[in-house]
Amino acid sequence: MFENRAIGLALVLPAAIFAAALFLLPVGILLSEAFQTESGWSVSAYGEFFASPRNQTVFFRTLKLASLVAGVSAVIGYAAAFAIVNLPASSRGRMFGLVTLPLMISPVARTYAWLVILGRTGFVNKILVDLGITETPIRILFTETAVFIGLLQLFLPLMIISLVSAMENMPRDAVPAARILGANWLQVFVRVILPLTREGLVIGGTLVFTGSMTAYITPAILGGSKVLMLETLLYQRVTVANDFVSASVIAMILIVMSFSANLLLKRLATARKSR
Amino acid sequence: MSDYVSLKDLTLAYDKTVAVDRLNLDIHKGELIALLGPSGCGKTTTMRAIAGLLTPRSGTVHIDGRDVTRMPPSRREVGLVFQSYALFPHLSVFENVAFGLRLRREPDLKTKVMDGLATVGLTEFADRQPADLSGGQQQRVSLARSLVMHPKVLLLDEPLSNLDARLRLEMRTELQRVQRETGITMVFVTHDQAEALALADRIVLMRNGAIEQIGSAEEIYNAPVSGFAADFMGFETILPGETGGGLAWRPGAVVLGHGPHQGEIRGASFAGERREYVLESAFGTIKADVPVSETRFEIGQQVAFDLPRESAVELARID
Repeated sequence: MFENRAIGLALVLPAAIFAAALFLLPVGILLSEAFQTESGWSVSAYGEFFASPRNQTVFFRTLKLASLVAGVSAVIGYAAAFAIVNLPASSRGRMFGLVTLPLMISPVARTYAWLVILGRTGFVNKILVDLGITETPIRILFTETAVFIGLLQLFLPLMIISLVSAMENMPRDAVPAARILGANWLQVFVRVILPLTREGLVIGGTLVFTGSMTAYITPAILGGSKVLMLETLLYQRVTVANDFVSASVIAMILIVMSFSANLLLKRLATARKSR
Repeated sequence: MSDYVSLKDLTLAYDKTVAVDRLNLDIHKGELIALLGPSGCGKTTTMRAIAGLLTPRSGTVHIDGRDVTRMPPSRREVGLVFQSYALFPHLSVFENVAFGLRLRREPDLKTKVMDGLATVGLTEFADRQPADLSGGQQQRVSLARSLVMHPKVLLLDEPLSNLDARLRLEMRTELQRVQRETGITMVFVTHDQAEALALADRIVLMRNGAIEQIGSAEEIYNAPVSGFAADFMGFETILPGETGGGLAWRPGAVVLGHGPHQGEIRGASFAGERREYVLESAFGTIKADVPVSETRFEIGQQVAFDLPRESAVELARID
């Protein structure tokens, strides 16, 4: 692009120095703490971390909830995206705006709204009691269910946006063509829509999975200390226990899990494609 | 079998706009029908309703004696060659043609797919991806994909409009050959009168969601019923008649150089064997074309002209 490569390099350099000095270096120092013991370098901190049953629970809970949120948002996302793409152009923009609107509201405000809705005297419990489904209000807040609902609502728009743009790139008449050739809706989805929107699903899935895994506010407010996730556990280790070793172990785990999730999803997408 | 495909009082609408209003049409078995008309006349909408991609607001669609009005497209046994071809980009040419056969779990899949590709002359392209093919080849794959299903009716949406002049002639011949060999009933949608005249056994001329005129190519070309039909068939000068109705002249029927009327040449262009003129007169704008061997007129020149009664076509309505 540039006649002289040096000019291009010079333009990138300030940003590169900034990123290296203020991001990569501190993160590196922080993460390296997890490998340092009194007797030198070691991975024993990871062994100790996973030896604790509580940490195991938190780890698998995080993995489970993040996967569940990603999976459920894919199901809802496909339905919503398909409906949006098939709307007439005028209402499509409006609907798309409505879907992305929550992204413009602070996650703190959104999560506090769930406190009101899911609480003992909240909207959900009132309906359950009024309908006679339960006699006394049930506990929803500070359960995995509450965290799941909060995360799903938080990240579903990202999935819908990814899938809408993937579907908009499908050939216009691919779906009607498949239907005329004898495919029912399930076959249309499996044989045409899914293969043609795989890249959108990978992007959406990665965003939702890593987002859910690294979210702090939602699990902190809706799960509290009863339903710890890796992120809330990390915060607790630092602020309550001043335990920076565990904290950097958790940070490392989160980074590794994010990358693996993306690699796994990409692998799944390409493996099917080359068939 | 006079009504192999039968549309009765078909009304089709998108939201609040009515696209087709109480349309009645019977199509015979083995017929090649053209739905002809300008954009927005309801021709594509009618075709989509036959395919089942659109549910009518009222009226019925029968195919081969079955009421298919509420039947999903997957069960109607129709084929549709989309204007965009609508091939599946993630599947090879072979798998595109095999798509419908696989869903039906048909035996001898390979033979049937290869036979289908042979019909359109693309056997050596079986392993290619659709993106590697030219537009004309993609369309033939799309045609093969529909034909291997042996549909009762084959619908084609503007089958020639995306092709260049040479391919257009090739595809036209191909469609006629396929129709002759398979005896399949074909309905194709077009806005090009030349295409409809060249291909169709019968032309259904549509206007504003209703049928303006049905007839053979020659009938519509030589005896349009209205000003609209005449205009669509290349009559450029349409004037009201003395006894109601109207009279229409093709550019070639206008006589230049002598006659009772006067006009001024506003435009002149050379078109090979003929010269085309636009003249302004008391009747409004008149288009004329005359052989290049005749006298040449210049822009701005006053000329006498004649609209001979005997070379006019009489119209029942002028609108």
